[in-house]
Amino acid sequence: MDALTRDQLAIEPARVLTAPDLLVGSSLPGWHAAGGGIGLRRALEDRAGIIGVLERAGLRGLGGAGFPTHRKWEAVAAQPGPEKVVVCNGNEDEPGTFKDRFLLGRTPHQVIEGALIAALAVGARQVVMYVNPHLGSVLPTVAEAVAAWRADPVLLELAAALGGPVTLEARASSGRYIGGEETAVVAWLEGSFPFPRRKPPFPAESGVHGKPTLINNAETLAHVPHILRHGAAWFRSRGRGGAPGTKLFSLSGDVQRPGLYELPMGTPLAELIEEHGGGMLMGRAFKAVFTGGPSNTLLTADHLDVPLDFDSVRARGSRLGTGAMIVVSEGTSIPRRVTEFVEFFAESSCGQCPPCKTGTYQLATLLHRIDSGHGTRADLDSIRQLCGLLPGSGRCGLIDGAVTVVASSLERFGAEYESMLRG
Amino acid sequence: MIGVEIDGRSAQAPEGTTVLLAAAAAGLPLTGNVGCMGQGVCGACRALVRRDGAATAETVLACETRAEDGMRVSFLDRFTLPRQAPYDETALADGWAAYERMLELFPNAQNCRHCSGCDRACPKGLSVQTGVMQATSGDFGAAAETFALCVMCNLCAAACPESIAPNHVGLFARRALAASQRPTDLIRRLHQIVTGAMAVETTP
Repeated sequence: MDALTRDQLAIEPARVLTAPDLLVGSSLPGWHAAGGGIGLRRALEDRAGIIGVLERAGLRGLGGAGFPTHRKWEAVAAQPGPEKVVVCNGNEDEPGTFKDRFLLGRTPHQVIEGALIAALAVGARQVVMYVNPHLGSVLPTVAEAVAAWRADPVLLELAAALGGPVTLEARASSGRYIGGEETAVVAWLEGSFPFPRRKPPFPAESGVHGKPTLINNAETLAHVPHILRHGAAWFRSRGRGGAPGTKLFSLSGDVQRPGLYELPMGTPLAELIEEHGGGMLMGRAFKAVFTGGPSNTLLTADHLDVPLDFDSVRARGSRLGTGAMIVVSEGTSIPRRVTEFVEFFAESSCGQCPPCKTGTYQLATLLHRIDSGHGTRADLDSIRQLCGLLPGSGRCGLIDGAVTVVASSLERFGAEYESMLRG
Repeated sequence: MIGVEIDGRSAQAPEGTTVLLAAAAAGLPLTGNVGCMGQGVCGACRALVRRDGAATAETVLACETRAEDGMRVSFLDRFTLPRQAPYDETALADGWAAYERMLELFPNAQNCRHCSGCDRACPKGLSVQTGVMQATSGDFGAAAETFALCVMCNLCAAACPESIAPNHVGLFARRALAASQRPTDLIRRLHQIVTGAMAVETTP
């Protein structure tokens, strides 16, 4: 968040969501002065065309999955009846990801406007801004912004178009890591503990209190008013190498200038690290990057040229995820970082599925033994076996994410683990 | 013969044997995960197993689980309780004191999320979550009954996201019940011994 106030970021040409004139906080007049409201106006004028614009723009879910946004919207729009819900997912609680807190804390109106456009497109009269309450002043800022929209006459136009009053509210999420999983979002909004549920049914069919529910990440929704205002072609032209739009990258780890960077989708990893991140800390050699947070396959020096977009990163066997890039240099222990991440997963596991809870703890303990110099070859063998035994044992993807990062670190840095074994 | 994989090592075992005996046959060092050697009472041989073709892994006691071809087994031997729960059993005879002591020792027991993870983890199929609820509501009799077959394998404790240690809550309930209300057959037998109605041989 602080990084964006720095000088070098003010000259980034590609900024759409984080342009300086958009950083108006909860001020709705400030947002309107920066061109806000035009996207919603266009949406009101051509309600039936909204989803088509998103399809042509090629917008994908920026919370991590990269699922085409228009298809999710179509699924909810296709459900019958007026009782539908739109939820903006601002629960962000993943290690190394700090983008939604910036958007919601510094420029929340574009996110809210995106959510209102979504409501119009899918026919929902209930809009919920689901926000992690542990992010300083972010939730109060969103609440103020929501209050400003409620007093805005455009909400009456929305109600007229949707055939009934529209409710817009800011709700504190649990702030727990699993609380960002979409079925957990539904559970929490129904008043329960945020336990992930089995899918199907998907929230698009049966979500909050059984109502069809559209759940989109804050960054995804933030793009929507800009796309409607400037058009699909404009959005596509923001990206590089065929990938549409811009992406917020949460750059952290062993780089000179960690911070939040909004860059064209498809910007190569090396460019993010070298040009924007100022290169490696203390001139050390690049070793690896945990992409999209701590639950994906590591990328190594062979992959520095990878364009950071969903398809290109996937082609290298990893995932873009949330756009978090946790960079590791020579001199930083991969087993140590992996141990920390797996401990996070073990703590965050909700408990419903015993193989997830016990398996992540077992992995964490074995990793900790190796990291602390007490591990044996048998421990390493056990870790390898758990990586094959555990996947798929949870209702949500937590256990799979934990296994992915362990397995990929073993595959690419097996020698480092071996060198730490005792005997 | 069937092939199983145990803690990353491939092993051959005769059909119809238990996972624990398969591990022994494979020559694995049975030092950390064996107590009663197959009687199903000590709870030491807890393990995660993945049956061939199964959708998920599950928690079991290796001594009570039949080894199957293609089964993968990972012994869970690395976890310990986050803390001890010390109490004087003789001080539990008074129900009021016992209840207060339990709340003091197991404050997390009231934070149950009702996720049923402990129920699914329990290799004995006990209604662990219900037992915790019974104990926290002060019904030590019901809780003791619920936990009657508990072998203290700690799988529920490992699975619990609130670190409740349900098995220790159950043990406390059983002890609290015993402190105030000893089993009648035990009282009768002790009475017979003390009054001389039953002769007992004692070693000198």
